[in-house]
Amino acid sequence: MKAPILESRHVTHRFGGQTALKNISFSIEKGEVVGVIGRSGAGKSTLLRFLCALETPEEGQILLDGIDLTKQPENRLIEIRRHIGLVFQHFNLLTSRTVASNIALPLQIAGRPRREQQERVNELLELVGLAGFGEKYPSQLSGGQKQRVGIARALAANPALLLCDEATSALDPESTTSILNLLTDINRKLGLTIIIITHEMDVVRRFARRILALDHGKLIEDGTLIDFLSDGGQKKTLQPLLADIRPKLPNDIAQQMCETDSPGAAIIMRVVHSGEGVMPPFFGALAQRFTLDAALLQGGVTTISGQPVGDMIVSLRGERRDEAVEFVKELVKSMEVLGYVPHHP
Amino acid sequence: MSPIILNVILHATLQTLEMVFASTAISVLVGLPLAVFMIVTGPNGLYRLPIIGRLVGIIVDALRAVPFIILLVVLIPVTRFIAGTSLGTEAAIVPLSIAGIPYFARLAEVSLREVDMGLIDAVKAMGGTRLTIIRSVLIPEALPSLIGSLTVTLITMVSASAMAGAIGAGGLGDLAIRYGYQRFNTTVMMDVVIVLIIMVFIIQMVGNSLTRWLRH
Repeated sequence: MKAPILESRHVTHRFGGQTALKNISFSIEKGEVVGVIGRSGAGKSTLLRFLCALETPEEGQILLDGIDLTKQPENRLIEIRRHIGLVFQHFNLLTSRTVASNIALPLQIAGRPRREQQERVNELLELVGLAGFGEKYPSQLSGGQKQRVGIARALAANPALLLCDEATSALDPESTTSILNLLTDINRKLGLTIIIITHEMDVVRRFARRILALDHGKLIEDGTLIDFLSDGGQKKTLQPLLADIRPKLPNDIAQQMCETDSPGAAIIMRVVHSGEGVMPPFFGALAQRFTLDAALLQGGVTTISGQPVGDMIVSLRGERRDEAVEFVKELVKSMEVLGYVPHHP
Repeated sequence: MSPIILNVILHATLQTLEMVFASTAISVLVGLPLAVFMIVTGPNGLYRLPIIGRLVGIIVDALRAVPFIILLVVLIPVTRFIAGTSLGTEAAIVPLSIAGIPYFARLAEVSLREVDMGLIDAVKAMGGTRLTIIRSVLIPEALPSLIGSLTVTLITMVSASAMAGAIGAGGLGDLAIRYGYQRFNTTVMMDVVIVLIIMVFIIQMVGNSLTRWLRH
């Protein structure tokens, strides 16, 4: 196993008697793309400030390449921060400098020679697709372009780690897509470890292979999106995060649905499945084997990181319904009963 | 208008310009570092020196609390010590600067405070030292607004220099009082007023266009 590039060990922090983070532990390997998700107030921003060595937690350790950031003196931390790239929600570009001069700033701080700065800036402008924009000022750029400059600046000093703080939250959907594609591209080309912190599940779904979820200062889940979808039924705290990207129960069904079973009622279930090959063709199998009335109410199959994943809401009605439910349970990754729709003859 | 009067007005205008620009230059040279000091030692500042920071703030406010016409008189011994005399244009630069320093410092402090904290964070996260943050973020980002503060200070110095004229500093204020007030020469006084208005207009116009140019 490779040594982790970034590790958080039992990090706990309080703000005026209130716990902002509670016993957060995880480790990230080189080249990973990780999404950290949580609603506002979940502790994401606090965690980010610890990860980029801007602040120190009260308890626990943050290790970057094996160096404990919580035990370094300020002048050493200044040096360490030069190896971490940070991308901001509101770009935070200096309005008094041109695009090229903004990108050169980390190199200037690191004391690189002017010639090298210029070469690197041109290289980076090319990488982020802004060749020829060097002499413009940030105020002349669109939001998406500003964020590209922000990314180029974060990459300038060849960081070991790229941290993105809500990097797409201020952008329109089109720019969001292009920025996420750019980040994915950078991860692939440079093998750079990227952590994106966001409140939007849609962003991590499209971008991160691994997701950490924070809620009220606690790490409530660490896994792939498939893990998230299959655990969504059990963990109530995950549901609000997943709500945006999951199929929703159609309104008319939701109105008819009740919690208790009755004779001849249809069962409404949320089914998650993933794996090699295609989804088990269980609609056909169910109809044939149990002579059931099986219907897909909402959802379908999408591909996540090259794997087909099905997330859907189905309804089953018939004499041998309960046998069928058992059969489905065996077949899929996770299953959750949402309710029953009574039979109206 | 007689060439003599024209000459007198021209001479007074140059004296006023000398007082205004010299005292403003000193105000900026001393006031800007003071403003930076007050910002970086303040709450959430880069350096944690709250007691010294507060002390500087109190001195600045105390100086600003004294009306300029009184400050002029109070400072006569200081002026005499620095300039060798308390009369004349050069001597007037001393009290004008002492009034201008805290004035510009407070204005500049407001300009510096407007700099987005996110930018300071960004440069800090890049591994910038505190000096880098002051040099590459605080001052350049506040520059358009600082130019605005400079314009206001220049115009305030124009009116303050007229007041200094009352105690023998020369310049347009002195001219207006001697000819317009003591000798009832309304023409000279009106001429002085027109010159002052034009002077203020030009300063404001140059200041505005400089600010606009710097804002990109």
